[in-house]
Amino acid sequence: MASSGHPLADTSEGRASFLSRLRRAVDEERFFGTLLITPMQLLLWFLLIIPTIIVIYLSLVAWEPRMGVDWWQAPFAFLRNYAQIFQDGRFWAAIGRSLGVVVAAGGLEFAVGLGLALLFMRDFPGKRIVTSVILYPMMLPWVVVGLAFYLLFLDRGPVNFVLTQWFGSGATVEWFKNPLLAMGTIVLADIWQWTPFLFLILYSGLGALPKDPVEAAMNLGANRWQIFRHVTLPMLKPVILIALVIRALEAFKIFDLVFVMTGGGPGTSTETISLYIYRVGFVFGQLSYAAAMAVLILVMITLVTRFAIQPIEEG
Amino acid sequence: MESRRLREFTDAVLRWLAGIIVCAIFLLPLIWVLSISFKPPEEWIAYPPRLIPEKITTSNYVVLFQPGNPVGGVGAMVSAAEPVTRAFINSIIVVPIATAASLVIGFLAAYATTRFQAGGKSLPLFVLTTRMFPPVAFAVPLLVYFRALGLIDTQLALILMYTGFTIAFSLWMTRGFIEGVPKSIEEAAILDGASRWRVLFTITLPLVKGGLAATGLFVFILNWTEFLLAQIFTSRQAITIPVQVSHYVGAVGRFYGPMAALGVVASIPVVVAGYIIQRHLVTGFTFGLVRE
Repeated sequence: MASSGHPLADTSEGRASFLSRLRRAVDEERFFGTLLITPMQLLLWFLLIIPTIIVIYLSLVAWEPRMGVDWWQAPFAFLRNYAQIFQDGRFWAAIGRSLGVVVAAGGLEFAVGLGLALLFMRDFPGKRIVTSVILYPMMLPWVVVGLAFYLLFLDRGPVNFVLTQWFGSGATVEWFKNPLLAMGTIVLADIWQWTPFLFLILYSGLGALPKDPVEAAMNLGANRWQIFRHVTLPMLKPVILIALVIRALEAFKIFDLVFVMTGGGPGTSTETISLYIYRVGFVFGQLSYAAAMAVLILVMITLVTRFAIQPIEEG
Repeated sequence: MESRRLREFTDAVLRWLAGIIVCAIFLLPLIWVLSISFKPPEEWIAYPPRLIPEKITTSNYVVLFQPGNPVGGVGAMVSAAEPVTRAFINSIIVVPIATAASLVIGFLAAYATTRFQAGGKSLPLFVLTTRMFPPVAFAVPLLVYFRALGLIDTQLALILMYTGFTIAFSLWMTRGFIEGVPKSIEEAAILDGASRWRVLFTITLPLVKGGLAATGLFVFILNWTEFLLAQIFTSRQAITIPVQVSHYVGAVGRFYGPMAALGVVASIPVVVAGYIIQRHLVTGFTFGLVRE
């Protein structure tokens, strides 16, 4: 290409070595990256992918540990486990209760959290102390929150004491013997523990919003409610959606509070879906039926979150 | 002007009052547990209930660790209960190991996925699926093959699961911190001839140390409080604190004092950890999708 004697005479050779060096660098980068994610990949295979394959297989066979054969030798049941689910009223009741917790607890946590966040947007004496006090419930073990509310709502506990003081001695309520009230105390415990999460996330979201749009709206003569409804809320929407999706997924898993406070009782009237699958699989020992329920839950949650996440991705 | 001042003043007072009420609501359940934990048996469900015990005793705490030792009458009542020492030892072994493993694995993967998109763009999102579903759904197949591997009722089983089910938090929280380190610093070091390992451990790691510590404490809280998997996979040898708490509420039944004392002891490490990382709690619970 170039005349001989020129310093760049060996351009093609130089380009080749540059290319090989580049390739080496890319290779090195790829090798390095792959190496770094390998431990996580192994864990994911071990705890996510292989279990998913096993749970699908288990859901298609008829197997219980007490049958005395290993699970891979169990006879195929094909879709019989799934057919059984559709006739299992206890399953659908449990699903309904878990969804009820999601709606009732999630909704109230959001409402109270937003109210508190708005209240805390302005300064008042002791605000920092109050903010730190509000934080601690979400750090507590769920079982301890369950224990605390169990102690509060005992027949001879402080809640009943306050009620009898206000409404006379006949006002003692047996909280854990009435299905609706028992569920109510569980939801209350969940609200107590997780309102701080929604408060904190909305509070920091509100604090991070730009001030200009609000001032512009104020100059245009909008009142407080209009500004909140048409300016603040739309800007806060992405944060709200993330908070609600995460809280809803967590609330749907609810297990610890129920296990500790009511054990699903009275009867099965506070049994949530996690507790029911736990019982079928690990107490009654019907593992392949529990597997079918688990698969159905996986499918349902995947579908629901796909729809829920869409607006987040678009926003 | 005067009326505006007045309005601002009443506004502040109202907020302050609301703040006090909110504080009371959030503090009362814990104060009640604390109060019971220092009460002798005859006061546990005495009527009318007293917020401050008449006779303060620490025997509820002592009896947790020495059930046979009849302290102040409580001991004799709960002598049938198992000591909580084993659960404490298990939690103290399992939780830090799983937390450290989750943190190391998560940090390495976070670095690789943010810097080189290792494993593809969707890998981090895929990891989130470990937190989407109720853990009981994974527990069904895990039980089957943990049994085949002889891992039932072992600390190793819990360490493996706790590492795996917190990896999503370790990965996503540290990703945020790594993104905060300018790539140009690393590139400059590479041009100077430093190896990638060297860059990672001597340049990036020191810069995200604080973030890693916060992530570690957050994962510690999650692991310390985990109940369902421990309840399913352990029975005697490897039980953890939350399982022990549930035993006290369920089986020991009416022994409210020791029950409350155990609740207090179980909460102290996580509340301390939580207050150290106050600022990062939202980041943690939202996988770093929302940052403070």
